[in-house]
Amino acid sequence: MTTVMIQEARARVTVGIFADMPDAATAAPDRKSAEAALAFLTEMSPDLRGAAILGPDGAVLAATGEEPDRWREDAAALFAAGDGAEDVPVEQVHIATEQGEVFAVRNAGLAAITVSDRFALASLMLFDMRSTLRRLASTDFGGSEPPQPRSGG
Amino acid sequence: MPAKPHRILLDRVSVYADEAAAFMRRRRISRRPFARLYYPQGRSADHAQDSSSGAELFVAAGRLIEVAGKKEKG
Repeated sequence: MTTVMIQEARARVTVGIFADMPDAATAAPDRKSAEAALAFLTEMSPDLRGAAILGPDGAVLAATGEEPDRWREDAAALFAAGDGAEDVPVEQVHIATEQGEVFAVRNAGLAAITVSDRFALASLMLFDMRSTLRRLASTDFGGSEPPQPRSGG
Repeated sequence: MPAKPHRILLDRVSVYADEAAAFMRRRRISRRPFARLYYPQGRSADHAQDSSSGAELFVAAGRLIEVAGKKEKG
C-alpha cells in the first residue's frame, strides 16, 4: 500500500531526461565490458559492499562475490516486488534497512543492483549506477579508463 | 540579582536533556527503514514495511544484503 507520495521537482526533471533517452540496448554487452563496468562502479563508490550488472534477459553479466545465481534470483525477486507494487515497471529502487541499503536501477535495457553501507549518499549512488549502465550500453567500457574514486560517502 | 546556584544547575541539566532528546529523535528518524520506488517522469512512492508490497521489497532487499556480504576491510 502506498503511504507517501513524493513529487520532487528536481528529481522529476532529472529522471525525465533519462526517461526520454533510448531505453533498450540493441545488444547485450559482453561479460568483459560488464566486468570492467562493475569494477568502475565498485571503485567509484567507497560505501559499496557488493553489486551486480544484469543483461536484458535478467542474466548476470558481472557480479561481486562467488554467487552470481543468487544475485540473479534475488534481483529478479526485487524487481518483481517493485513492479508488482503498483503494476508499473519501476525505474529505480532504494531500500534502507538496519543492515544496509539496496539500490537498483534499470537503464538502457540493463539493470544494476548495489548493496551499500547504511547512510550512503543515494543520489550519488543512483547517478553512478545510471551513468555506468548508459556507458555500458553504448559499448563505451573497454576498462582502459582509470576510475576516479569519490573522496566522501 | 544573581540566580540561585541550584537554578543554574537545573538549567544546565535540562539543556543537556533537551539536547539528548533531540539527538535521539533525529537518530530514530534517520535509522527508520524505508522502501522507495521511482517511476518514469520522476514520480516516487514510499512503501511501509508493514504493507504487503513493502514486506516483499524488504524481504528481497534482505536477501541481496546477505548475498553481498560484509564489506572487506582495507
